[in-house]
Amino acid sequence: MPARVSLKSLKRRGGLFEGIKSNIQALAVGVKYFIDPQRSTLLYPKEYIEHRPGYRGFIVLIKDKCISCAACARICPSAAMKMVRVTEVDPKHPDKPRQKQYPVINYQRCIFCGYCVDICPTEALYHTPFQDVVYESLADMFLTLEAFQLEPGRPSVSEGSPVVYEVDEERGLIKRRR
Amino acid sequence: METILYLIAYPPLWQVLILGFVGALLVAMVAIWFERKAAARVQRRIGPYWASPRLGGFMIIVADMIRYVTQQVIIPTTVDKIAFLLTPVAVLVVTILPLAFIPLSPHELYWPVASMEYSLLIALALTTLPPLLTVVLGWASSNKFSVIGSLRESYVITAYELVAVLAILAPAASTLSFNIVYIVEAQQPVKWLAILNPLAFLAAFLAVLMSTSAFPFEIPESEHEVVAGPYTEYSGILYALNMGGGYIRRFIYAIIIALVFLGGWAPYTPGLNPFTGFIIPSLIVLVKASIVVLIMSFLRAVYGRYRLDQALDAAWRLALPLALLGLGWSIILAYMNLI
Repeated sequence: MPARVSLKSLKRRGGLFEGIKSNIQALAVGVKYFIDPQRSTLLYPKEYIEHRPGYRGFIVLIKDKCISCAACARICPSAAMKMVRVTEVDPKHPDKPRQKQYPVINYQRCIFCGYCVDICPTEALYHTPFQDVVYESLADMFLTLEAFQLEPGRPSVSEGSPVVYEVDEERGLIKRRR
Repeated sequence: METILYLIAYPPLWQVLILGFVGALLVAMVAIWFERKAAARVQRRIGPYWASPRLGGFMIIVADMIRYVTQQVIIPTTVDKIAFLLTPVAVLVVTILPLAFIPLSPHELYWPVASMEYSLLIALALTTLPPLLTVVLGWASSNKFSVIGSLRESYVITAYELVAVLAILAPAASTLSFNIVYIVEAQQPVKWLAILNPLAFLAAFLAVLMSTSAFPFEIPESEHEVVAGPYTEYSGILYALNMGGGYIRRFIYAIIIALVFLGGWAPYTPGLNPFTGFIIPSLIVLVKASIVVLIMSFLRAVYGRYRLDQALDAAWRLALPLALLGLGWSIILAYMNLI
């Protein structure tokens, strides 16, 4: 059986006068923005966003504070963090090597939720206030323990100037130079 | 002295430079650039920028053209090959054809069409040819999106070509002549028909905007519904020909509107030598036509896209009565000797 076709028609809103008025209003808004453009595009290599404190960017490990509790690896929702076993010198008994576990991170999986930073009992993990870092290959995104302790460089800081995005009551989202 | 002037302002050369292929190409480039830039300004973006920051990113159009020329042209196995390859070229040729019958100078010496009695009628008749080729284009592609696109194109041209022709012929009714030069001279100095007969002007503007499928109203090639309408199977230089053809067609309509409604070279009285009689009048017309094209481009930023049924509804319920009213008003103008 073929599908039943029914014609739908919407009731017209307003009359001719209403149509002319709304068209003119739309054109007036367009002309207003054309004459006084309020652009908010980020000119990326020349400008960079200066994020507020508390921004969840790249995660860096402070190895000396870590107590190997593995809470960060357990809480991680995308299983980006893993514990690795490392043989190192025990500071209390310098003649006897000891084995200890430290977290490493896989940025292919990380979703920057920041749970690991929140749960860390000794604050051994912290966020950097940026995310724009480039890796040459996917294998590089699997950080080693040494790389996880270094704060990655940010090339746009050396080239550009910082800007801040703010919400204005009348104009909406605006870009402001620092 | 007179010979040197004539050599500098050698009419056939300027006809090619101002109005021929080069001029049409330049206007299409500027129109595309302005369209992107104006839409970006209104929508709080920057638009093309990094290609050449000092020129406002104009070079991106040149880069696009180089890309189109060097791109691979893919010919699918299912298409009708001869029609598929020849139609884009034919579209461009037929699109430029009306320029042969549009005089930009009142003197027969510099523009032989100037004394032709039916120039407006012939130019208008020729502007209605390219949409037919667009239908052929979609049929030759033998693709469902193309066929749907050309079906939409045929709906839109049936509705809006009628309005465009009726509205642009309204000045002929009020000046009792089909000669473009006569119509322009009747509007001297500021009795422009856009002021005396705004209804017909508005109808012509609307119909040109719709029938050339200018950007907000690109019903035949709407990206979200049918991939690129009649141009789905095209790539490389053939697609560029199709796209440029649309802009050039809009420019030619804009020239006709500038001559017929906006007074052509009206505040200026052409002299006899090549500069005052030929180059200055044609440049004035060109500037007016460019302003019309740029206003049409600006509308992209303001309006959303119409559905097909909304566009046809607007054509038959709004634009056609508007054009008929304009025609009636121009007959009243002629009867009362207002022009």
